[in-house]
Amino acid sequence: MSRYQSRLDFAEFDQPSGCTKCLKIAWKTITCVFSHVALITLVVGYCAAGAFTFEALEVDNEKEVKRSIKGIRQNVTDHLWQLALESKVLDETNFTRNASNLIQNFEGALVKAMTKDGWDGEEDENIVRWTRTGSLFYSIIVITTIGYGHISPKTALGKVVTIFYAILGIPLMLLCLSNIGDIMATSFRFLYWRVCCYVCTRPKKSKRSRSGRSSVRSSERFSRSRNASFRRSMRTSTKSADSGLGYLEYHTSHSDTDLRYHDYGNRRSTSLPRNRQSQTSRYFEHNDRRGHSAPKYAVRGGSLDRKKYQHRFAQRELERLELQVLDRTPVLCNRYVVKKEELNGNPVPGITLRELENQNRGSSKRSLNAADQAHHLQLPRPDDFDSHHQRGAEARKKKSPARMNPSPRMMTPLGYGYRSKYLDDPDSDEESCYDDFYYDAEKQRTRPVPIGLCVFLVMSYIVGGAFLFDYWEQWGLLNSAYFCFITLTTIGFGDLVPAKGVSQDKSETTTSVAVSIALCSLYLLFGISLLAMSFNLVQEEVINNVKSIAKTLGIIKSDSEEDSEDEDI
Amino acid sequence: MERKRSVRRHRRYEKSYAKRAKEYCRTFIAFLFSNVGIIGLVVGYTMGGALMFRAIEKDYNFQVKTDVLVAKNLAVTKIWNYTLSMNPFTEEDYRKMIDKELVNFQNIIVKSVDKGYDGTRLSYSEQWSIAGAFLYSLTVITTIGYGNITPHTMAGQIMTIFYAIIGMPLFLLYLSNIGDIMARSFKWIYANICLCRWCPGVATRRAERKKKADKLRYYSDDEVGSSSDSVENTKMEDAVHRKTSYAPSEATTAADGDSEESYDVQSVTVPITVCLMIMVGYICFGGFLFCRWEDWKFLEAAYFCFISLSTIGFGDLVPGDKIIGHSDADEVLVDEVFELRFVFCAAYLMLGMALIAMCFNLMQEEVIHKIRTAIETVKYIFRCNRKQNFSELP
Repeated sequence: MSRYQSRLDFAEFDQPSGCTKCLKIAWKTITCVFSHVALITLVVGYCAAGAFTFEALEVDNEKEVKRSIKGIRQNVTDHLWQLALESKVLDETNFTRNASNLIQNFEGALVKAMTKDGWDGEEDENIVRWTRTGSLFYSIIVITTIGYGHISPKTALGKVVTIFYAILGIPLMLLCLSNIGDIMATSFRFLYWRVCCYVCTRPKKSKRSRSGRSSVRSSERFSRSRNASFRRSMRTSTKSADSGLGYLEYHTSHSDTDLRYHDYGNRRSTSLPRNRQSQTSRYFEHNDRRGHSAPKYAVRGGSLDRKKYQHRFAQRELERLELQVLDRTPVLCNRYVVKKEELNGNPVPGITLRELENQNRGSSKRSLNAADQAHHLQLPRPDDFDSHHQRGAEARKKKSPARMNPSPRMMTPLGYGYRSKYLDDPDSDEESCYDDFYYDAEKQRTRPVPIGLCVFLVMSYIVGGAFLFDYWEQWGLLNSAYFCFITLTTIGFGDLVPAKGVSQDKSETTTSVAVSIALCSLYLLFGISLLAMSFNLVQEEVINNVKSIAKTLGIIKSDSEEDSEDEDI
Repeated sequence: MERKRSVRRHRRYEKSYAKRAKEYCRTFIAFLFSNVGIIGLVVGYTMGGALMFRAIEKDYNFQVKTDVLVAKNLAVTKIWNYTLSMNPFTEEDYRKMIDKELVNFQNIIVKSVDKGYDGTRLSYSEQWSIAGAFLYSLTVITTIGYGNITPHTMAGQIMTIFYAIIGMPLFLLYLSNIGDIMARSFKWIYANICLCRWCPGVATRRAERKKKADKLRYYSDDEVGSSSDSVENTKMEDAVHRKTSYAPSEATTAADGDSEESYDVQSVTVPITVCLMIMVGYICFGGFLFCRWEDWKFLEAAYFCFISLSTIGFGDLVPGDKIIGHSDADEVLVDEVFELRFVFCAAYLMLGMALIAMCFNLMQEEVIHKIRTAIETVKYIFRCNRKQNFSELP
């Protein structure tokens, strides 16, 4: 809140001239684009640097190993020749025993060379695997943590460098992937709801109502899961309230917002048009269920208005009078606001004033906005700036129930949930630069893309990859699908590796190896970000589904004991 | 009458029995998903996977070994035939022939190594031993994927896919659970031991100081109004700090007097350096251990630990290598050590990944905290100018 506040503070203090606005939008767009592009460029550059480094470090060792294989075989031949020469009488049993011993040793040496020294069965010294492209592939394999192991550093220096390379590279890659995943998720959601559903929902009303129902259900789920966290927050807030903040200003503001909230809710319900009845009821249910928590949203939603600063200033005196009246009203039970405001450390009365103000204006505006939304989410143009922010506020309000789910931590090892956590936090500052990009997504976050579609997408990607690799490497369909799965989940056994098959054909040249490697790395980079995207899309819904299943099974005691146990899932 | 009643009673009893059974079942499942049970669940799942994959893959591996044996015998007989048939014994011809034959044999070996041949004898046919399969299952669900043992049959590959689909979320659940617990307990330890929180005098003094500072801030804030910049800024930091510390802390239920303390403990952010130290220490510890267990140098062992714990998993170094090197050793003894080593490695991995999850948990908090503070500072700097402009406006 306070950060919003501060941001808004100076946003409001600007004279809203067209020039500065344009500049601001331009600046935001540039920073957004630049941050994505810069991140991707950074990753690519990092990979390229890794390619050069590892090539320089490892290629000599590999050639050495290849030479040694030739030497070993030479040795065996020598021994056999000696054996044949020395034995004056060729005795079969004797000769066979000796020869088989020699061959046994030869086999042991070969297996050792393959497993320990990373020899791949190729003897030509000109065909090395630590070429530029091979090293590039290796760097990608390392920082995506796939780790096929078909080529691995054998020198001590190479190992040390790999360790440090991975320490830096893995977080970088995670950041980049989740960034790309976010972008893809946003655009995919956009595509799905704008393009697909616009077409299929317009002629049929029934379908839309069904989607509405499902979202009601999800909101119920949200609110249920919300309860726990609120109870928790209540506890903390009582604590913090005890810790020496017996502060009169607070209480006034609380009771104030609470009253306002009831007022606000009523007003909204009446002012909404009929055809949005389902939406309204959903809102209402939502709010009712959450009960006390609602003031928080009211606060948040209210503070987002940037315009009419002067107008508000004139009204401020009037509001102060009203505040004094409200001062005497009994303090209602909303410790959440204590927590909220205490957390953000902005107990200024200005906040309440502003939000009072906003709600006065907001109610009418919001009804308008809701009506606007009734036309099924048309694309907002950049010129109606005000309604943007209004919508952003709405979206944030709708979205915020999901915010405190303990979900993102669950995906941390794979890193998919990492970034989305920050972005989902409406208070985070990073969002300020993503705001214009994400408000769209936020608005639609309440209407989740169905899980089945995401699963289908990933499945079809794997199947497509299977056909591709079958065509490219002649592995067979099952093997290719297996390879795609093992790669995309970053398990990476390395029993099937793209360039391997090509190099064993020997008729192929190094260029085709390069092409194959490039193809594979493109496939896996895109695939991993696709996975990140679908995780992004379905994460919350899946978690809520699992939660409800667990609740029906009785693993999680519903509602009453939930707060003690819901961190399990 | 009497009978009826008794029947009814009996029925009621039965019902309650069923209910109780249901309740027990529920509590059991709940226990499985609880913090302690999840460990057992993961281990059980891995064991099940081990048995399954062993059953599926054992025969294929045997097949590969026999193939190699046949190829070896064939090579020897061919060489013998050459030796016999070459009557005029010219060295060059003989060498050429033998080299050709050896290259042939070499290619066969290369192919079978790709198929999972590891150079051990036929009698010692335990690549898919229980322990080996256990390690395999673990590498699948942790997404390490060494690839030293891989399924080669169709059924094995398909089962691997489904096994991974179920297993990976399970393991993630384990990680988040255990990581959370460890993070909390580590924080507690850190707060109590390193920061002297247990010493009551220090704690109360610190709390008092904090309180005073808070009060001062708020009063000054009240006096000056909303736009006292420096105060607001510090307070913002404070708020940010508190918020970040709130996010993971689950606010343990406690009495009022206790609550202050626990609040303090959970609000402590462990510095990044400590987390890094823990990770490096764990890797070095693993390095020493594997250095002793296996034939590896220290660097190799530490490299192995890092590659495993970061889930890269090249598989160029895998526990159990030593056995392959000395396949002539006493097999029974080797077998036991072998199994033990795999189990030890599995335990090391499970603990280590939870530890890393914990460190990430702690570091994430700290990093977010730092970033936010930095952003606040930057914003504050920018805002300074704005405010000055603005103060003349109204």
